[in-house]
Amino acid sequence: MKEIMTVIRRHQVPATKKAFEDAGFPALTIQSVEGRGKQGGIGGWAAEVDPELNAVMSADLADETRFDWIPKRMLRIVVQDDQVEEVVDVIIKANQTGHVGDGKIFVCPLKEVIRVRTGEVGREAVV
Amino acid sequence: MKMIRAIVRPDKTEGVAKALAQAGMPSLTKMHVFGRGRTMGIRIGDVVYDEFPKTLLLLVIEDEKLDEAISIILESAKTGTMGDGKVFVTEVEEAYTVSKGTKGL
Repeated sequence: MKEIMTVIRRHQVPATKKAFEDAGFPALTIQSVEGRGKQGGIGGWAAEVDPELNAVMSADLADETRFDWIPKRMLRIVVQDDQVEEVVDVIIKANQTGHVGDGKIFVCPLKEVIRVRTGEVGREAVV
Repeated sequence: MKMIRAIVRPDKTEGVAKALAQAGMPSLTKMHVFGRGRTMGIRIGDVVYDEFPKTLLLLVIEDEKLDEAISIILESAKTGTMGDGKVFVTEVEEAYTVSKGTKGL
């Protein structure tokens, strides 16, 4: 099993959830986080809603207000090994605008999953 | 690639982030968490505090930068007293950048 952690734009969560559902991955965990990438944080909430602003603002605001921490949503989804590629594609398709700040996807190995209600272990414990 | 999860004092967050950025690792995610360590919280008078607000810093880096990142975090998050936090390292197999759709950090 693999745990896929992805950091995406806040307003893309509903679309991503829908895309997951359509692809047959209804289970996920959503967390509110703040972060930044290679650029060390630019944009702010306005650029978050309209990614085009990132290009404009980064130059204009070079010496002015900086947004060190940009609010994001982190989604975690646990899948079988052979489903990783599909899920990554779904995430990229649903979130890609081509602008800085679209997010990252991390694929991490996961040793064990246990369903609390039934005590099922491993493959069956994942949907 | 490795994922570092560091639980630090909330007031040390900016210091750690700045130190990492200076060393060429500006990318990280932070989240607010509550927790306790092996001291099971502290007791002040009649009041027991068993959950402390902390910040969880999450960063993914290439293997060769791991030691440097850890030592920077340990250095900049340190106060020397109980509750400075912990650093956990886990494996990351793949990373993708959504905006370009490419593999890698």
